[in-house]
Amino acid sequence: MNRFPSFLAAVLAAATLTAQEPPAAPAPPATPATPAAPEPAPFEIWHPRRPATEADYQVAKWGPRDLPSPGYAFRAARVLPITQPPIDDGIVVTRNGRIEAIGAAKDVPVPAGYELVDCGDAMLVPGFVELHCHIASESFDLNDTAHPTNPEFRTLDLIGMEHEQIRAARAGGISTALYIPGSGSNMGGFGTLTKTWGRSPEEALVRFPGSLKIAQAGNPERFSGDLGTDMMGMSEGIRMTLLDGRRYWQQHEAWQAGKGDQPKFDPTLELLRGLFRQEYPVSVHTQIYQVVLQTLQELRQELGLWTVIVHGTFDGYRLSEDMRVAGVPVAGGPRQYFFDGKTGRIEGLLGNWSHGGLHGWREPVLGLGRDGVGVNTDSPVVPQEQLPLQAAMGVRLGWPHEWALRGLTINAARFVGIDHRVGSLEVGKDADLAVWSGDPIDPRSYVSVMVINGTICYRRDPARPLF
Amino acid sequence: MSTSPRTPRRTRTLCLAALLAALTVDLSAQGRGRRGQRGDAPPPAPAPAAKAAESEPSKPKHYTAIVGGDVYLGTGQRVTGATVLIADDKIEAIGQGLTLPEGTTVLDAKGKIVSPGFVAVVGNGMGAGRSAPFADGVNPFDPEIKQGLAAGITAFLAGSVGSSSSPSGSNAVVKLAWGDAKGMVLKEDAVLGIAAELSLGDRDKLAESVKKAQEYLKAVEDFPAQKAKDPNAKEPAVPPGTDKILAVLRGQSVLWISLGGGGFGMFGGGRGGGGGRADDLDAIRQGLDTARLFGRGVVLQKPVSAWLLPDEIAATGSMVFLSPRDRRPADPQDPDRTGSNLASAAILARAGVPVAVTCPVGMFGGAGVGTGGILGQDLNTPQVDAAFAVRGGMDNRKALRTITLDAAKMLGVERRIGSLEPGKDADVLILDGDPLHYATFVTTALVNGKVVYEKANEPLFRHITR
Repeated sequence: MNRFPSFLAAVLAAATLTAQEPPAAPAPPATPATPAAPEPAPFEIWHPRRPATEADYQVAKWGPRDLPSPGYAFRAARVLPITQPPIDDGIVVTRNGRIEAIGAAKDVPVPAGYELVDCGDAMLVPGFVELHCHIASESFDLNDTAHPTNPEFRTLDLIGMEHEQIRAARAGGISTALYIPGSGSNMGGFGTLTKTWGRSPEEALVRFPGSLKIAQAGNPERFSGDLGTDMMGMSEGIRMTLLDGRRYWQQHEAWQAGKGDQPKFDPTLELLRGLFRQEYPVSVHTQIYQVVLQTLQELRQELGLWTVIVHGTFDGYRLSEDMRVAGVPVAGGPRQYFFDGKTGRIEGLLGNWSHGGLHGWREPVLGLGRDGVGVNTDSPVVPQEQLPLQAAMGVRLGWPHEWALRGLTINAARFVGIDHRVGSLEVGKDADLAVWSGDPIDPRSYVSVMVINGTICYRRDPARPLF
Repeated sequence: MSTSPRTPRRTRTLCLAALLAALTVDLSAQGRGRRGQRGDAPPPAPAPAAKAAESEPSKPKHYTAIVGGDVYLGTGQRVTGATVLIADDKIEAIGQGLTLPEGTTVLDAKGKIVSPGFVAVVGNGMGAGRSAPFADGVNPFDPEIKQGLAAGITAFLAGSVGSSSSPSGSNAVVKLAWGDAKGMVLKEDAVLGIAAELSLGDRDKLAESVKKAQEYLKAVEDFPAQKAKDPNAKEPAVPPGTDKILAVLRGQSVLWISLGGGGFGMFGGGRGGGGGRADDLDAIRQGLDTARLFGRGVVLQKPVSAWLLPDEIAATGSMVFLSPRDRRPADPQDPDRTGSNLASAAILARAGVPVAVTCPVGMFGGAGVGTGGILGQDLNTPQVDAAFAVRGGMDNRKALRTITLDAAKMLGVERRIGSLEPGKDADVLILDGDPLHYATFVTTALVNGKVVYEKANEPLFRHITR
């Protein structure tokens, strides 16, 4: 019965051999599910060729850091650093765009000349990271389709910091967004990782390209025309474009190794070269089981791309174990549930992706665990500021609350390789934090102050809150 | 409780009986809800009741008690560790340490929350038919009923609400009485709708019709005295074309003001709002003029700018429903007096305006349950919309009213549903947590005193445990 999955697992295992070895099994958790079952290795994203530091990047451009910002000491009843346990009566010291100190108020002094911002009984939470949004531009730039695949397109030049959705994002506690083209064509173009506030779009930039947007199926059909209105045709278009990019990358690698001539510069293939150098991931709109399988086989295994599934909906969670083996994480949303007509059950996507479980036709499968699952809005389908509500709906249907907080922050940052800058409150990271009135996942809580790159960019007016 | 002139006499009798039942805690007369006993139903269910007029005094009542929960009454109050005693399809008593009659079916709610069933001011599907008379078109076995009950919804407005220059609409308040076709339609023609902005000609025509209808009502009132004086006095005749206006004047139908549209600009600036001229103060004020013309409060549907006129709205006795998170940007030339406000619900409630909430106008949302939408954007989580009212500053406990009692008021059925009070319909939820928390689930739902949904016995959410 499970001949096919075994085959798949074998292929995936073979593919991972070329990658880094998985790390040794960690210490068992406090409460193992069953004493007999060995704890699986934690989820690791597969990107073995990724440059070690920002300086090693050749194609992508990183945004500026250390921009001037005042010295602040934010003190609150509770601080959620995310990667460390919560701190009661904590303090976060920021200046010039970065976090300088974090800890209990009794241990961390307020430096001379720094302004103490007393947040009372509020909660300090890192700014959230949105991995699938189509806003930031004032115009309708979603689904330009010049060709069946459009790697020439990029969102970089479209960003406006005062777009209504971006303003609302700040009021919703979201500080970083991956602004990507739509899924109207198989390859919509290159997305941009941007902060949701900056004195200029250049200042707000985190990294360009943030990712290459590929829509494997479940929307691009409408624009594919007679070039391929079904899966095989669409896959062919994606594959041919990427193979061009791979050839260009291989020629470059050879030239850099002293073999062969420098290839003629091609601005489109240049960005695909960065993709194959694994400077940034491909973010794939791939929804149902069948298409997630294609994503794993074609993009991750055959082409060897750093692959992140975004806009994960429907029953793709059935492949959680295969994704785990392949090192492919998922940002799920915005639908958040799948009605399984065979069982009559409403399945929670993020819970199922995390936990794995019994998914119909297979043996119990492993999930992506604490570290492999994030969440997204697909804004403006769901308004940008409602990203935490998407997480709330995930928690409602079985995603552990603590994992949801990670999914909104550090997980998302890791999926696209910006976790050295954002996603948690740690010394040296960007000073992106929100002052929440309570549990940030509960829609009754609100952001009273939003800080991005160390600057207070939003204060809530209780008589007329933006959100 | 009265009904529209079109309603058959038999129904009118029953509704009168229901009103009596609501006024007298002794429930010898029964409303409509419990007549739907089916032949194939399990034996322990209550015996089928006869019509009120023919009720047999020997038929024993069937008692159900929800014991030990923290009971949110829906009025803003809460009783901890209380019992809700249900006799057949009505609430008999609520209190701590009630003595239960012999043979009472006990539902344990210790450690749980008991709440009135949620009322959705707009909805679709969930077993309701598509046109009047709705009583003839319900499907009590529509799977969406279970999904609605899982969301906590026990009643909603189905059908259409007019938006033209005279009151119109074809709708009904439908209950989610699974398996009981006759218990589903609570009230036909509950709501009539009219456009906020009328041309001068239409406005004059409406004023004239309202005047004629008022004169007719006065003549009806005076008729018995006239008849006593002059046995040959002629009974006043209904002026032609005023039946809908009379329904509003008599309080049989609630008048809703349409502010137009309903679309949303996804890629334009903001999201949601009522569309049309909902953000126009003049449009809202004209709607309030209509309220004054009728001498009755109206319901403003998703008025984006209502937060600027709380006292004017309160003075007419009018009500508002909205989706607190619908966002419409302000006009940069007049930012303080345009655009939406998350605090709208709180501002209006503080001024004494009843406020109900509904889901946003969205791409995949819409006022239904079903399995094709986006969770958190449709009617599958009514508490989330109330939660956004709290985010905007509304008191957490009062916010439950936005999906219970105040919603029932906007449908004109607040004497039957919307709160847990003796004499009201036994539409009750047992919840596994705070009613307004996003992760709270309905563990048991009762409609008309019958258990119609149990999380543990339905496939929908049984597998989700915490």
